[in-house]
Amino acid sequence: MTDIFITGVGKYLPGKPVANNEMEAIIGRISERSAALGAATLRKNGIKTRYYALAANGEHTHTNAQMAAKAINGALAHARRPPDRVDYLATSTTQGDYLVPGFASAVHGELGIPPLELASFQSVCASSLMAAKSAWLTVRTDEAKLAVASGSEFSSRWFRPGFYQPFYNEHSRPDPGLEFLRWTLSDGAGAAVFEPEPKAQGVSLRVDWIKQKSFADRFPPCMYAGTVSNKTTDNQPWSLYNSPSEAYQAGAIALKQDFTLLYKMFPAWVGYYLELLDKYQIDPHEIDYFLPHYSAQSLGQEMKKLLVKTGAMIPEERWFSNLAYCGNTGTASIFIMLDELVKTQPLTSGQKILCFVPESGRGICSFMYLTVFDNN
Amino acid sequence: MTTKGYQLTTVQQVLRKLTIVWADFESRLLQVPIISRAMNNQLQLDDYRILLADHYHQVKEGSGWICRAASSITEPYLEQRAVFISHASTEHMDYQMLERCYVAAGGYINELYKQSKNIGSEALSAWMYHKASQPNPFDLIGAMFIIEGLGKRFAQTFAETLHHNMGISAEQLEFYTYHAEHDGDHLDELEAILNTDILTIPQLPDEIIRTAKVTARLYLLQLEELGNY
Repeated sequence: MTDIFITGVGKYLPGKPVANNEMEAIIGRISERSAALGAATLRKNGIKTRYYALAANGEHTHTNAQMAAKAINGALAHARRPPDRVDYLATSTTQGDYLVPGFASAVHGELGIPPLELASFQSVCASSLMAAKSAWLTVRTDEAKLAVASGSEFSSRWFRPGFYQPFYNEHSRPDPGLEFLRWTLSDGAGAAVFEPEPKAQGVSLRVDWIKQKSFADRFPPCMYAGTVSNKTTDNQPWSLYNSPSEAYQAGAIALKQDFTLLYKMFPAWVGYYLELLDKYQIDPHEIDYFLPHYSAQSLGQEMKKLLVKTGAMIPEERWFSNLAYCGNTGTASIFIMLDELVKTQPLTSGQKILCFVPESGRGICSFMYLTVFDNN
Repeated sequence: MTTKGYQLTTVQQVLRKLTIVWADFESRLLQVPIISRAMNNQLQLDDYRILLADHYHQVKEGSGWICRAASSITEPYLEQRAVFISHASTEHMDYQMLERCYVAAGGYINELYKQSKNIGSEALSAWMYHKASQPNPFDLIGAMFIIEGLGKRFAQTFAETLHHNMGISAEQLEFYTYHAEHDGDHLDELEAILNTDILTIPQLPDEIIRTAKVTARLYLLQLEELGNY
């Protein structure tokens, strides 16, 4: 099979950067204690600014599909390809604008390009590399000539107080499982273009491999919405209540994170990373850029020590992230990082880039390995 | 492991493979009924008592098989034998802490004394003593990586879950929290012993990994068979 290249990258971040002290003006205020937990969360995740597709008056400035379409158009412009040449579209998002139909249809509609093949990938962060893998393989098997993969999120809509009110309000004890995400996730989109040839001028990225592994056989849901709890005793799906409003009243709509479980996933992710290093015989010191989709702070000291002792640690000066000023945009993050890497770093032929996207949703671990190809 | 452009040290290679085995083991632990029920807030105090009772033999025998392994170590590895002996001596009274937890959890000590091994514990115990009886059984380092790693890495979150969700008291949890807090840096200790010249023993690196895998499976079996004697 032929080599396939990422020939264009793009991103779209709505509105202006929102500083930490401006967040409540947009996502709303729940309580004093919620804000205090928010401040603690922000110290931990290290995010200084982010973007929201919500305005201070509560109205939205974009839909999720509109952001995806803007990022895709940006990536196509960067690849210097007209949008109507795209013959395969793979989208990823945690939650589309509608419950039905699929998100790729909405993005196709927004793009307004001629009929083409498409695929909707829905998961949390790892759906980004599911879409990328699908686009990569589709071009690789000659099923398409010009494929795009997008990742986009409109997380902020989950965090308005109205989404919690019946079961969580100013009188509630702050729930870290709710507050962590409220102060961590934000909106945005990113995209990449896949082609069978590198572009005539400038930098392309050859996709060497994309691998992912799901550990849902051993982990219950960890980041979830649509059920009150991930405990088997009360995890009735929202759609099986007597009515959507009953599910909402019960708290089955909110987006939550189970921290105890999150930390249990780290070893599984590290184990998979070590497996891949062995499988592909990779020397961590040969990796020029490591793009991890999560904050360095959350990589526990113990995990770091384990990586050092197993000869698997990528030197920290090679870690590249724009989390602090672009925010954590879920499935869009890895594309948004790639966009900045390609457009701001002095990439030279032969350099290696490793993208790492762990997903706490129900334990998925994804990697993408790229080689820089410079036609200048 | 010689690769394209770089070479891992044998110690790094062994620790890497052990970490892969351990990662699989730890995540599979969550599927074991007792752990899964604990994580789902479905555990009762008497379930916890059964866990303590069934864990009892393994804890009591832990320093036993390490001593047996020490006695199987011959020249020129007497320095390493000393490490085994000192490890065994650190842990050999730990079972008393477990006895206190059992009583605190409402159990009668005489019942604990009479308690026989569950069928998984039988297999685990037989395996450990079998291995420890082989000449220079340094492959047991693989077993230690699994069992000690469990104490250090898993016991803390397990104890916290039981405490917060099930209201199991600090006194009843002493054994697990003590191990989480005091198991020290076993990774450093294991690395130190691997860094002596034992890895030049033919086949030993592979045997360490295999012993780790078997021990991990039997450890799960012990937990899966709680109450089945």
